[in-house]
Amino acid sequence: MKTDIMNMRNIGISAHIDSGKTTLTERILFYCKKIHRIHEVKGKDGVGATMDHMELERERGITIQSAATNVAWAGYSINIIDTPGHVDFTIEVERSLRVLDGAVLVLCSVGGVQSQTISVDRQLKRYNVPRIAFINKCDRVGANPLRVRNQLVEKLGHNAVLMQIPIGLEEEHQGVVDLVTMKALYFDGEDGERVRMEEIPAELAAEAARKREEMLDAVSMFSDKLMEAVLENRPTEALIYEAVRKGVIDRQLTPVFMGSAYKNKGVQPLLDGIVRFLPNPADVENLAIDLDNGGGTIKLESVPEGPAVALAFKLEDGPYGQLTYIRIYRGKLKKGDDLQNTRSRQKIKVGRLVRMQAESMEDIAEASAGDIVALFGVDCASGDTFVSPGVSLAMTSIFVPEPVISLAIKPVGQKASDKIAKALNRFVKEDPTFRAHVDPESHQTIIQGMGELHLDVYVERMKREYKVEVETGMPQIAYRETISQRVEFDYTHKKQTGGAGQYGRVIGFMEPFAAGNFEFKNEVKGGHIPKDFIPACNKGFLAALKKGELAGFPVIGVRVVLTDGQAHDVDSSDMAFQAAALGAFKQAYHKSKPQVLEPIMKVSVEGPSEFAGNVFATISQRRGTIVSSAENGVFTQVDAEVPLSEMFGYATVLRSLTQGKAEFTMEFMKYGRVPAPIVEELIAEHRKKQAEGTKS
Amino acid sequence: MTNKELVEKSPLRSFEQSLHGGLGKGNIGILASLKGLGKTACLVHIAVDKLFQEKPVIHVSYSSRVDYIMTWYEDILKEITKDMDPGQAQEIRDEATKHLVVMNFKQEGTKTEQVLKSLEEMIEFGKFAADTIIVDGYHFTAAAVQDLEKFKDFAGRLGLEVWFSASLRGEGPHFDENGIPFILKDGLEAIDVLITLHSKAHFVRLDTVKDREYPPAGELPLKLDPRTLLIAE
Repeated sequence: MKTDIMNMRNIGISAHIDSGKTTLTERILFYCKKIHRIHEVKGKDGVGATMDHMELERERGITIQSAATNVAWAGYSINIIDTPGHVDFTIEVERSLRVLDGAVLVLCSVGGVQSQTISVDRQLKRYNVPRIAFINKCDRVGANPLRVRNQLVEKLGHNAVLMQIPIGLEEEHQGVVDLVTMKALYFDGEDGERVRMEEIPAELAAEAARKREEMLDAVSMFSDKLMEAVLENRPTEALIYEAVRKGVIDRQLTPVFMGSAYKNKGVQPLLDGIVRFLPNPADVENLAIDLDNGGGTIKLESVPEGPAVALAFKLEDGPYGQLTYIRIYRGKLKKGDDLQNTRSRQKIKVGRLVRMQAESMEDIAEASAGDIVALFGVDCASGDTFVSPGVSLAMTSIFVPEPVISLAIKPVGQKASDKIAKALNRFVKEDPTFRAHVDPESHQTIIQGMGELHLDVYVERMKREYKVEVETGMPQIAYRETISQRVEFDYTHKKQTGGAGQYGRVIGFMEPFAAGNFEFKNEVKGGHIPKDFIPACNKGFLAALKKGELAGFPVIGVRVVLTDGQAHDVDSSDMAFQAAALGAFKQAYHKSKPQVLEPIMKVSVEGPSEFAGNVFATISQRRGTIVSSAENGVFTQVDAEVPLSEMFGYATVLRSLTQGKAEFTMEFMKYGRVPAPIVEELIAEHRKKQAEGTKS
Repeated sequence: MTNKELVEKSPLRSFEQSLHGGLGKGNIGILASLKGLGKTACLVHIAVDKLFQEKPVIHVSYSSRVDYIMTWYEDILKEITKDMDPGQAQEIRDEATKHLVVMNFKQEGTKTEQVLKSLEEMIEFGKFAADTIIVDGYHFTAAAVQDLEKFKDFAGRLGLEVWFSASLRGEGPHFDENGIPFILKDGLEAIDVLITLHSKAHFVRLDTVKDREYPPAGELPLKLDPRTLLIAE
């Protein structure tokens, strides 16, 4: 097999749940001879589909996490990255989509374009991923691939062009007519492994001719040569393929294939389509962040020469130890090479380098730009960039949003604590938006993340993968407190209890600070507070920020300026000045009109326009602000800002109000003020907790 | 400076005075000109003035993407609050945009009835008690002019002020002897206030060519500042 970059494809397979994505992947592995038997998704034979290797996913019949596998087809090396479909996994989705150069959008020939098809397509669009479509399940009752093609045009705005038409549908589905070669394709053998090419059945000849003409009309827009050839009635297969490829890479054309993965029909022509039309890594522009140049971006040439740049996009704890999946963007990686982690500055040596196939692996000596491989035994986090020493480039932003929701978890049964620690350690490495810590006061293990479902999945993964039962508390919103006006302080901490006393006086002011969480400025003149004690003052203020005096939440957005103070030759100490700062903060805080802040989420709801009114209502009922709505005739997208505390259970409400046809995404946007009545509730709750704490 | 002062000192007070107290509820106003003279800026300025008075505005855009419209508002709000203390200016801007919703439609394939239905749903179900509707980028074809009646009925029924921009396309002449754009003549009955914009050497002139039952005032004592495209005295 050639490993020339021109012969590489990095693709994803994206679909609505239950469109047959895993079955299709399984068939691809089978026809590419990576597996020797076909297993079904829901495990009729108790084995389950090979790609779907997490138990949780196996049970649900859906895929949550990405895994990469390499196959060979017609002399091409294809890396298939199994993309997560759910919208809550922003970071995970982003990482998978970053390493793809193209995607197959799988649709159900009965269900057509469904809500999740829209969301995965939107994600692919956002990351400029060229795509081809596969209309699956043509053997199902009610199959209508032509209607689905029209939905691709009307609902997703694709320039979708049929490359095939079906030979029979539902129970009669036998194969497809290829509109380029104008041949009928049948799939013989027990597993459809032998493709038989025949003349087009007479009853389909007229339709095939008509559809071919439509295809040529659409495709010739991408090639003058083809247009000329069509006018002269002599278009060649090569000219058509070249024009389709151009249209796909420019993201102006979506060629449509069809069949039934379950019935082993139409998969091999789709594989031909993947290698013919989807881009190779060199066709795609990749940008890296130049850390030496103030974070500007530079274009990376996908060439095997030059210093290496690779992105670790996925970590996995497999039966063989920790695996790090990487995509090489430039240069070459060989066993024994030195690499540096751009984020941690840690140096590593490339040990075992492997190419992954669903659940087995192949050791390789080297890999070069464009390829996706895995490293063994490397300590890193997902999203880290590895570079040759001396290079200062990063493939992803180092910015990671702060978690907005937390959940207390409690192990059930003995030995569970160790397992939980192991699981959390791994999840935290895999997903920088997921955090875990033990609360020093309650001694509870707290997990934090970006949404309700985000945390749910990790709790479930603990149960499935680590066999540990956990009890969970109520999800807690990450409220914050802040001050809203400048206020001065003058506080003396003085204690005389026999022996050495404590003395420290701090004078200054604090004010709202929009640019960050906290700033401390020392403007003390004349050594009224000796320099040695200034860090202690800073430490005292930082300690005060941990728990606001209003409702017990951490305080953000404060700037403290120390202007004066007083020390005592004998009684002043670090401890005394820390205590003075703490006291000064408490003294000033109540006068600063403190407020409680809550996470405000940017919520985007998309659904058929007929339900727009219902969507507007759900937003206004949740203290949300509608920012905009965009209607394209069929679909309406509503963008709004809604407090996270109001978003619990939104998925269910939205589903029931829109017959399951609308869906939403949300991400953290900013902290906003909590309205007074809710602040009162939070304060009351805080006092109650304090009282309970005192009692116990 | 407070919101109140911003409103009091706004050149839009003269604008309203020239229009006998402003457009008024249930009425349709149109700003018409050739492309690129500043109609959108002018509409956004009118909208921002409403926002400062805490009067909710729905900005309906037929041509531009939502983010593009948002940028218009941000820029104009920044311009108006540029001399204020940065913290206070930010607060005023944040407060103003709370009263704004942008709605984007494609004129092709979306009937006016559907647009009005969506607007009504936003007002009713979205609990957004709009005071003013700004309609930008509406392509006044012969058929679209007929739809002005529907907007007029809607404005009357819900008690809204509706401001449109009308771009005069193609080769001239664009105006009749009374200064009325030819393309709007068939819809004149539904239009309460019609203002045309004309490019002069160093500024853009505003002419009132229709003002309900009043005799049109002609050239207004206002112009568009060529730098900011905002209304200035």
